[in-house]
Amino acid sequence: MRNCIILLTFLLFVLAFVAPGRAEIIAVKAGRILTISGEPVENGVILIEDGKIAEIGVGIEIPEGAAVIDAGKSVVMPGLVDASAAAPVRGDLNEQSNEITPTLRISDALDPQSKALKRIVQTGVTTLFVSPGRRNVIGGLGVVVKPTGKIPQQMILKDEAALRVVMDLDSTQGNRIPRYQVPTDFYYRRPGTRMAIIWMLRKSFFDAQQQKDSEQTEDPNLAVLSAVLKDEIPIHVNARRAIVIRAALKVADEYGLKLILQECTEGYKVAGQLAERKIPVVLGPFYYYPGSMGQYREGRKVNWNNAGILSKAGVKVALASGEQAGAIDILTAAIFAVRHGMDRDEALKAITITPAEILGVADRVGSLEKGKDADIVVLSGDPLNVTTRVEKVILNGKTVYKID
Amino acid sequence: MKSRSHITFISILLTACVLNALAHAAPVRRKLAVKAGRIITIAGKDVKNGVILIKDGVIKAVGKEVEIPWDAFVIEAKDRVVMPGFVLAHTSSGLDRANENMPEVPFISTFDSIDPISTFFEDSLRDGVVTMLVLPGNNTLLGGTGTIVKPYGRTVEAMLIKRYTGLKISLRPSQNTSRMGHMQRFRRYMSDLKDYLEDYEQKKADAEEEKKPFDEEIDVTKQPMVDLLNKRLTAFVYCDRAADVSKAIEIKNTHKLDTVLVLGPDCYKAVGLIARSKLPVILDSQLVIWETNEQTNEEEMKVVPMIFHKAGVKFAFQIDTSQYGRRYLWYQAATAVKYGMKRQEALKSITLYPAQFIGVDDRLGSIEAGKEATLIFLTGDPLDAQSWVDQVMVAGEIVYERAKDERLKKLLEPPLIMQEPKDTD
Repeated sequence: MRNCIILLTFLLFVLAFVAPGRAEIIAVKAGRILTISGEPVENGVILIEDGKIAEIGVGIEIPEGAAVIDAGKSVVMPGLVDASAAAPVRGDLNEQSNEITPTLRISDALDPQSKALKRIVQTGVTTLFVSPGRRNVIGGLGVVVKPTGKIPQQMILKDEAALRVVMDLDSTQGNRIPRYQVPTDFYYRRPGTRMAIIWMLRKSFFDAQQQKDSEQTEDPNLAVLSAVLKDEIPIHVNARRAIVIRAALKVADEYGLKLILQECTEGYKVAGQLAERKIPVVLGPFYYYPGSMGQYREGRKVNWNNAGILSKAGVKVALASGEQAGAIDILTAAIFAVRHGMDRDEALKAITITPAEILGVADRVGSLEKGKDADIVVLSGDPLNVTTRVEKVILNGKTVYKID
Repeated sequence: MKSRSHITFISILLTACVLNALAHAAPVRRKLAVKAGRIITIAGKDVKNGVILIKDGVIKAVGKEVEIPWDAFVIEAKDRVVMPGFVLAHTSSGLDRANENMPEVPFISTFDSIDPISTFFEDSLRDGVVTMLVLPGNNTLLGGTGTIVKPYGRTVEAMLIKRYTGLKISLRPSQNTSRMGHMQRFRRYMSDLKDYLEDYEQKKADAEEEKKPFDEEIDVTKQPMVDLLNKRLTAFVYCDRAADVSKAIEIKNTHKLDTVLVLGPDCYKAVGLIARSKLPVILDSQLVIWETNEQTNEEEMKVVPMIFHKAGVKFAFQIDTSQYGRRYLWYQAATAVKYGMKRQEALKSITLYPAQFIGVDDRLGSIEAGKEATLIFLTGDPLDAQSWVDQVMVAGEIVYERAKDERLKKLLEPPLIMQEPKDTD
């Protein structure tokens, strides 16, 4: 009898703890759902189970006990994907000890408490790609993260997502050789010219190729570069001017590299070529007159409709904030891309599914489809209206931001 | 005798004919009627399918039921939204250099520095900003006087609306000085000025007593400051930080100045002080600010226009020429609406209020009978990013047409698409 009671109490306890642990179902009701992958759904429902989208459509029965988020007449769209965001890292992003540092991982330096992360989530971004800084020719490995979690491991969606290469003259900056002095400090060893940047890049890949053929002990740096050569890791190349883009294409041809071009302010000049070679581009940051901005000393020519021309030519275009913490958010970037001639649907794709595809995480994020992560942005109106506000952000099925 | 009077008559007739022909050759049509799909009057309610009657560049009547005279030239704008041109109450763009190195130069004027071919003016016209007060930059204590111009004309004289308007006082310490030193410099200037004026009055009184002619004029380098004290000029006081606001108000109270506050992004913290002072305010172009809450360690978004709007402060916006979005006045207003400001109030903040702050609201800032016909024709709602300024009318004259804007075409379409030659090897 006594045993029975103990057993019962025990069972009750177990039940009490297990019951809430059951898969929680959340239903999001909205006036308009922009799925991105298909046609918009009017007055639809999204069912979320275990942080994933279980069902989406019109007239879906909401199960008993499901938590209902009634977004009223609001517009719902997938969480935005920023393919080049300010890194949530404390301290410097540039390793100064060497210009070729392919083994460095930005994921080792992630700070879940970062301010940049808390801000970016309020602009509707739920997936972002971050990489080491621009002062190295080969900077290291970038990572796709979500702005959630208490420890870095919880944030990471895809580690080693891409290798950063900088072909713009940014990687020659920081060269502080005082006049009439012998360069003895490690600050003095940077490449000074574009010739040197390209030479260093070529040499790195050449060494990796040599190593692939020989059976020597593997250098970890070369191991990463070998993975790039085998198309296991894509490379993000910073290239603004048309001349730099062409140089990047040339090096890519020599070593059979799979490129993703970043910034690409003069991309419109080589739009045909980029389309032909199926090279995706990540545009941003955006300024009207880059000539006056320090970070744009190169590529002074501005074309407001760069995104529109590239996407019309058939290039995969993603709009990103371009690692500028104070820059415009990507929703605004899309608004202005449309103002200057980009197709409406293409612009919406350029901040959701296209960057997800470029980063290789389109199976998880970028559109509202059954089975994908429940990353949802609730907007007060049409996403391409300046007066529209981000009302709520749901990340992995959890509300991480809402306006008061 | 008779033939003589004939000749006189004929000559008068001829002169009249010539004058008439000249009048017709002038580009401004005397009587105009704009038939618009929607008129945003700012002064009152919007008018759908209304008519604006213009005579000699001045609005005669606005409304639905306005009779169009038989001799008026009709401008059909059925699919356009017509509203008053935007007014920019404070800018230091369009100058070859905005700041003088010396700290006390109230006697210089932006009139001498405005560059009519600066792209800033061209862009302003394209973006619907049709009136602007160009003031010296924010780095000089007593920076000089401003000039109100329209962004249209080949010379400064042709652009001019009003000279000698507003005097820039900056409370941000210039390089190598502290706030203490900066304020002290200002106080010393004012006390020297007071001594000078007392001295001047004394001399004048002495001359009168001795019945001598008195022809000494006030020192030209001090004249603008004297005009400031006499309220002939308005002080545009730049406050870099919230702490500077109290100084600006102190200056205003001590010297009884007409004051407009030009605020830095951080100044929203002094909103209570500003609201109590009832001074007009020009906001920084950065409208949304992030701050870390020290208690919760959360990142908080501060929406500056909403903070001022809730406190009942009247304000105008500024623009910034390099940032996306922030270079448009309509975008600034739309941002305020996004965070809850009333639409009508936001539209006033880019038209009527700035016109009031710079003292041209008798001519500009709304569509009302008696005001100047300075209008913009938009392809859609002014707060919609997909609307473009299609035409700009300044005092009854069309000065901008998007269809003829060659540079805009070049900004939107590539000048050339270079085709890469195929590799030969």
